[in-house]
Amino acid sequence: MNASVRLSVSSLRAHKRRFAGTFLAVLLGVAFLAGTLVMGDTLRASFSTLFGDATKGTDAVVRSADAITTPGESQGVRQPVDTALVKTVERVPGVAAAAPDIQGAGQLVGSDGKPVGGQGPPTLAGNWITDPKLNPYRLAAGHAPSKSGEVVVNRGAAKKGGLKIGDTTTLRTPGPVKVTIVGLATFGGEDGMAQVTFTGMTQADAEKYLTAKPGEAANIRVRAGPGVGQAELVADLTPVLPKGVEAITGQESARENTDMISSQFLNIFTTLLLVFSGIALLVATFSIHNTFAIVVAQRTRENALLRALGASRRQVTASSLAEASVVAVTASAVGLAGGIGIAAGLQTLFPAIGFPFPQGDLVISGLSMLLPLAVGIVVCLGSALLPAVRAGRTAPLAALRETAVDGSGASRGRAIVGAALAVLAVGATLTGVLVSPSLWLAGLGAVLALAAFVVLGPVASSAAVRALGAPLDTLRGVTGGLARRNALRSPKRTAATASALMIGVAVVSLFTVFGASLKATMDQTVSRSFAGDVAVSTPSFGAGGSGLSPELAPAIARQPAVRYAVGLGRGVAQVDGKGRALTVTDPVTLGKVFDLGEVRGSLDDLGADGIALTRKEAAEQHLTTGDTARLTFTDGTRENFTVRAVYGRSELAGDYVITRAAWAPHRTQDSDSLVAVTFKNGVGTADGRAAVEKVAARYGDPEVQTRDEYARSSAGGIDMMLTLVYALLALAVLIALLGIANTLTLAIHERTRELGLLRAVGQTRAQLRAMVRWESVLVAAFGTAGGLALGAFLGWVLVEASDGASDSAFAFAIPPVRLAVVALVGLAAGALAGLRPARRAARLDVLRAIATE
Amino acid sequence: MTTATTTRHAAGVADAVKVYGSGDTAVRALDGVSVGFPAGRFTAIMGPSGSGKSTLMHCAAGLDTLTSGAAFIGDTPLSTLDDRRLTLLRRDRVGFVFQAFNLIPTLTVAENITLPLDLAGAKGSREWIDALVDVVGLRDRLHHRPAELSGGQQQRVAVARAFAGRPDVVFADEPTGNLDSRSGEEVLNLLGRAVRRMDRTVVMVTHDPVAAAHADEVVFLADGRLVDRMESPTADKVLDRMKAFDTKGGRS
Repeated sequence: MNASVRLSVSSLRAHKRRFAGTFLAVLLGVAFLAGTLVMGDTLRASFSTLFGDATKGTDAVVRSADAITTPGESQGVRQPVDTALVKTVERVPGVAAAAPDIQGAGQLVGSDGKPVGGQGPPTLAGNWITDPKLNPYRLAAGHAPSKSGEVVVNRGAAKKGGLKIGDTTTLRTPGPVKVTIVGLATFGGEDGMAQVTFTGMTQADAEKYLTAKPGEAANIRVRAGPGVGQAELVADLTPVLPKGVEAITGQESARENTDMISSQFLNIFTTLLLVFSGIALLVATFSIHNTFAIVVAQRTRENALLRALGASRRQVTASSLAEASVVAVTASAVGLAGGIGIAAGLQTLFPAIGFPFPQGDLVISGLSMLLPLAVGIVVCLGSALLPAVRAGRTAPLAALRETAVDGSGASRGRAIVGAALAVLAVGATLTGVLVSPSLWLAGLGAVLALAAFVVLGPVASSAAVRALGAPLDTLRGVTGGLARRNALRSPKRTAATASALMIGVAVVSLFTVFGASLKATMDQTVSRSFAGDVAVSTPSFGAGGSGLSPELAPAIARQPAVRYAVGLGRGVAQVDGKGRALTVTDPVTLGKVFDLGEVRGSLDDLGADGIALTRKEAAEQHLTTGDTARLTFTDGTRENFTVRAVYGRSELAGDYVITRAAWAPHRTQDSDSLVAVTFKNGVGTADGRAAVEKVAARYGDPEVQTRDEYARSSAGGIDMMLTLVYALLALAVLIALLGIANTLTLAIHERTRELGLLRAVGQTRAQLRAMVRWESVLVAAFGTAGGLALGAFLGWVLVEASDGASDSAFAFAIPPVRLAVVALVGLAAGALAGLRPARRAARLDVLRAIATE
Repeated sequence: MTTATTTRHAAGVADAVKVYGSGDTAVRALDGVSVGFPAGRFTAIMGPSGSGKSTLMHCAAGLDTLTSGAAFIGDTPLSTLDDRRLTLLRRDRVGFVFQAFNLIPTLTVAENITLPLDLAGAKGSREWIDALVDVVGLRDRLHHRPAELSGGQQQRVAVARAFAGRPDVVFADEPTGNLDSRSGEEVLNLLGRAVRRMDRTVVMVTHDPVAAAHADEVVFLADGRLVDRMESPTADKVLDRMKAFDTKGGRS
């Protein structure tokens, strides 16, 4: 064996503990990364199989060719096809069966009176296709709906809502429909298509409740006769289809559906996880580098002796690197295995917590093996490179000196470079945020700020620890004082240790500040533009929920206590060639309940051919009152609308407003997303609210909220997102804590004799433990303080940059309570990290410690 | 001094046995030693390497525990104390001077001196500390860090710290081992002065006859047994006695 390799192997064996922290940091980061990749691939493959299985009886799908896609939406809106086309299709040779597929939104109400699902995944309703081969759902129990009011629901939805066969409940479509469950269905053998709920009704019911007019279906599913291939079938179908209608193969349709799920959910999910594993690995880089740097410093005499005995610089460096390689390779390999284990564990865990993920074999691609391995090894070796080079530079004479721990402060060069970076960072962000709004410049500034913090760490650490630790001397006496001085001993080391935690805390605070700002923005939006007293809405996120019945607003308006009630519906159209969302409402009342800012022209007389739009859109499309806008609807009709009003504030009202009369010919399943209500003068909130609630109860019982409640619930999704982010950041923080614990353990090893002396002259074990813990807390406090400052700054940059980049005004808010909690958690985590090193230090044998060499 | 019956012992051991290891590799570092260290006296423990002199000191001072027998500080039997009580006893009633690494590098000279008092949360006597600082002659160095002092100065700080809490007894383990002869002489004089002028008790382990000559009495240890005592030692007498061990052969 090569001498340097032999040396490093024996030193690794002798100092296993020293590298335990490094090993764990690499392992955790790699496991997270590998787990994410494997789980993403597996889910993608499972969904693909699931769709393939469920729709394998469908050989072709006939649908409208054009879709109108509005910004921020992946799936366009298609015009329905005429169900009469089914007859035409059935007559085509090679077609065995065809069935209309009517799709709409329908949210079930569970046995507890609460709506089922709606928190992201769609809540679907449709006709129960009687041909079992064409129906992607299979009847698992009961029978198919045969008369009006009978429905089949997917098993997952029934479980979640506590519903069983024979139960009668309400289906919000969005108008309440009384339904009796007569059957339970599965999708591709599972309880459902992930969390999507499905209610299948008779075709007549579906046409009645889910479409704007009877005789429409989202598409037509076609099954081929024996010996007819999918492509052949499509070729046969195409000539008989009217203009604007196309046929695609069943496989293509399944792939489109899988892609949609991937882009809407899986990609976002895996990207999010990848970003956070990146953060975790960045944090790991700092603690690994720190460990290697300390180990090299502690081994100065040993390395110097090697050099004195004739080892070349290269050999010493190589031996250090070889050591790092062993750690890197084994930790990455174990991490990879761990990641695959995590993915497998989640696969079994998700169904157990009521999250029906499609089952299937784990998909472990070459990329998801190689990438985590490569990243783990690069991170580990990269972090060890500099310390290894430094080890090689050890002067042979150092063998004769006492082991010197680097207690030097920050060099002047570092201070200058750091200050320059800080100036650049502030300059770039201020320019990017205030002078000429640019996300890129602001982003560059943010990265520079992070770099400045890391470079300036050692410069700031002495002063910061002195300040943060000042209360310790009085609070904890000599124990606190000793802890504070220990933290001050090596500013570089303290800073490097704290940097890891700083990054974690910075990201946490960044999201906390940004989340609070979003909430404040939402609040501001509601309080500024919502002039009503109560809002009626169905709390839902993403594609879930079915909205409100369009009949609700008129019904509320008829109440004696109510002055105005306006419902906001949604439509889509291409305005001068670009897909846009339209607000379908009564513009006259809209202007009364919402503050639309300055209005040019009049909303009073939009009529069936008039449109109102925001000033921003007007400027972009070069439109002004009296001009003509060309709207193309999903049914392919083009109509000219006259711009009758331009208003200043979009926010809740949306960018384009048309009347219900104008939308009626093009409407699909009608629903309102919000009904805003203003009471008559002298009607108290409680009375008015009770009156509105009474009406709402007849329309599927949506939630009636005051203005404040509405603002708060609009921001509800932000809290959910923040919780997820906190959970994901826990790993980065954990790795940072491992770093602190590891540094402390190494420091204790260095100070063995000193600790022995303290014990000999009367420091109790409890005092010794407290001393180590407080040192840990101080290092954590430094990292937390830096992280809070950096995170708040980056949060401000993000908010201001978003403000500059979008038309709606963003509010910046600092949430003091949440940040205080972050700070406390940081400190508590520091105490936690110090526990083990403190225990180990306290177990020290006094005699062995003070024994001279 | 007075007669044996009135002698109060500041520390001591009775039938002390200390065995390291077990079975074939067991080593009896102390083999039935009984010795008392009279209060107000300067006692030196001498013996060749491996005679058990350091073990005796460590056990008597409560840094190590005996395999059998008893160790006392004053009238307190150490075997009855748990680690915490033992630590508190060391803090309040015992002082230490070691061969090397006697000071906490992060603390100033003044803080090092009052360290045991600070650990106890006690104020201590201002005048006593003041007097100590003057005796060891470090008034102008009080706010320096140990790294800024010479080896001799560091050891003088250690002596001051050992006496800061007015302990019943101060144990010194080869206090001059790392010092040149002049600095060593200073430290020994300090210890002697503390005993004679300030009525303190010092027990010192050394292998240096010159150092032992500063003591009031020398006890000789060989192979874990107490073999001799010598009142009013001189360097020559001690050296002769030590030579006698060598001629008799190290092991018996």
